[in-house]
Amino acid sequence: MAKLKRTFTYGFLSVVSLASIFPFLWMIVSATNKSVDVTKGKLLPGGYLVENFRKLVDSIDLWHAMWNSAKISIITTVLALLVGSLAGYGFEIYRTKAKDAVFTILLMSMMIPFAALMVPLYQMFATISRNFSVIGVNTLPAVILPTFTTAFLIFFFRQSAKMFPKDLLEAGRIDGLSEIGLFFRVFMPTMKTTYSAAGIITFMSSWNSYLWPLIVLQSPEKKTIPLLISNLGSSYSPDYGIIMLAVVISTIPTALVFFFMQKHFVAGMTGSVK
Amino acid sequence: MIDFVSRQTLTSRSTAIVHKYRNKKRGWTRMKKVLAILLASSLVLAACSSKSDNGTEGSNGNDTASKETKEVTVWAWDPNFNIAALNLAKEAYAAKNPDVKINIEENAQADIVQKLNTGLNSGTTKGLPNIVLIEDYRAQSFLQAYPDAFYDLSSIIKASDFADYKIGPTSFDGKQYGVPFDSGVTGLYVRTDYLEQAGYKAADLQNIDWNKLIDIGKAIKEKTGKDLLTQDPNDLGLIRMMIQSAGSWYTKEDGTTPNLANNAELKAAAETYKTLMEANIVKVTSDWSQFVGAFNSGDVAAVPTGNWITASVKAEATQSGKWAIVPFPSLPGAAKATHASNLGGSSWYVLNTDGKEAAADFLKQTFASDVDLYQKLNKQIGAIGTLKAAATGDAYQAADDYFNGQKIATDFAAWTEQIPRVNYGMHTYAIEDLLAVEMQNYLGGKALDKALADAESQAETQIK
Repeated sequence: MAKLKRTFTYGFLSVVSLASIFPFLWMIVSATNKSVDVTKGKLLPGGYLVENFRKLVDSIDLWHAMWNSAKISIITTVLALLVGSLAGYGFEIYRTKAKDAVFTILLMSMMIPFAALMVPLYQMFATISRNFSVIGVNTLPAVILPTFTTAFLIFFFRQSAKMFPKDLLEAGRIDGLSEIGLFFRVFMPTMKTTYSAAGIITFMSSWNSYLWPLIVLQSPEKKTIPLLISNLGSSYSPDYGIIMLAVVISTIPTALVFFFMQKHFVAGMTGSVK
Repeated sequence: MIDFVSRQTLTSRSTAIVHKYRNKKRGWTRMKKVLAILLASSLVLAACSSKSDNGTEGSNGNDTASKETKEVTVWAWDPNFNIAALNLAKEAYAAKNPDVKINIEENAQADIVQKLNTGLNSGTTKGLPNIVLIEDYRAQSFLQAYPDAFYDLSSIIKASDFADYKIGPTSFDGKQYGVPFDSGVTGLYVRTDYLEQAGYKAADLQNIDWNKLIDIGKAIKEKTGKDLLTQDPNDLGLIRMMIQSAGSWYTKEDGTTPNLANNAELKAAAETYKTLMEANIVKVTSDWSQFVGAFNSGDVAAVPTGNWITASVKAEATQSGKWAIVPFPSLPGAAKATHASNLGGSSWYVLNTDGKEAAADFLKQTFASDVDLYQKLNKQIGAIGTLKAAATGDAYQAADDYFNGQKIATDFAAWTEQIPRVNYGMHTYAIEDLLAVEMQNYLGGKALDKALADAESQAETQIK
């Protein structure tokens, strides 16, 4: 009976996991096929990988776009982790009367869709660029500045900080640590799992972010990977083999980040469930 | 439980860290190193990039254009079509005007719409190009919403040089803003081998209406088992083609008032659409790749669409010689039914910013007059232009072996001139989203008059 149950469970899980992995599998298979075969729905790997790759590298500056995306994602992730965790830590550890009110406002900001902020934000950066072109439209800071502080990360870190044993802070204070020291020397190393989970989330969303870089980055040489892939797809007769290959390549960095930090990620996610 | 366990691990780990600190302060030194490396690397990255920012600032054109070399920046989509066309135009222009630099920047169509809207909406033209390609269906929404943002080309190009139907979308308030570019003239692409099996020839399809085509479709299905055509329920391109072929559109002459409930042509198109869908000869698709896949793999006998699909049809080399292109079937019951219609197509617009004169001159000397350029465009990228004079060139007389020696460019050019002129107005896609839902209701049994009336009242509340 138990055996039957287990067979059923594994059978069910296999079907579900196959269904969830299928799009990914199909993407990889399609990257090795001609466009015509992709549209026909061919499910077997073909011999066009090299040909597709050659055409892809010929038609777009893939490596440069990867480098652009990497720059933006890495800087955003480092800044976001630092600022988000400091804020989340502050919200949980220190007491003021206004704390909850401020936090509520912060959470409400999550409800405003980016589309509503886009025009004023663009206007702001266009105005800034008249005097300070270093952080104005079409620069790296313009992409990063509006995106690295998110209410979500602050919320995420605050929730994790709830579990943080406060006695440790007392112990640190007795030993003469400053408040900043407590954060960097006690809180940060303890919350490694939370940091890696937050790091993965931030890196992924930054790597895939589309709308704001699209608006604010104008010169072609600044384009990120998602923008280039969008170009590939807007043809009257799109070459699906090439598009799939580009998508596969653009997935590699996020996949690597995820696999390297996967252990921490899972631990961090369960740890934050209160 | 989870909470308890992780709290314990956390406690033990942090106690260890505090211990370490107490003993040797080693933990702190390591943390400091890690932090320093992280900060330093982000600084270095930022520094690298800001250096390249300064380096490339000048290349962005309009705001820092120097006096010796004028720069014109152009945005368009599709590397194999519009971008390729621009490169040919740039080549032709550079031969005569070596002092002007043309920067061609590729952006997806949706991205161009997004960027233009954000830029114009926020009242700043910084970073916008000098010339932009806009799809005809969307053109009026830009021209009417931001009339000052575009440069009036009335004195530079002659509207009568172009196919009449293109002037509707590219002009506003009596002024000519756009240089009409490619024709979206429609045709019915048919598989001659399937037709033959069903007892027909391409010649039998020359001047038929949709009812006749549906009958032929049934015969094909019976003999070959193949469907007549594909339809994506979310894309009413077929309805759009039908009503334009009969000289009607979703909006009235003013381009803003929805014209659905009392639109005889739209009613006729909807009825034809329903007959078609219920004849069991339609393969339903859900996106573009399935649409292309269906005719590439030989699942359908016909493709009614714009001439720009030619490249996708020809991509399947094994079907060479099996295709023909016949005129678009006329709309049954329509008063002004014709065999010519349009799907898609776009035109060039000059933004009203510094450098507009140079940009206008580029368009004037290339897309607005250069017949030779249009021959190259046709030969190399298969584009059918809307400049009337272009059709007299030799490329337009060439026979295409893939289509059994049919002179497809000649046919398309002739049909282009017959396309009824309608005003696409400002809300084509917004209205179509509403109409697509009501069309499904109609197929599901709702009365047509009621469905169209509902769509119209929704459109009125949404648009006004």
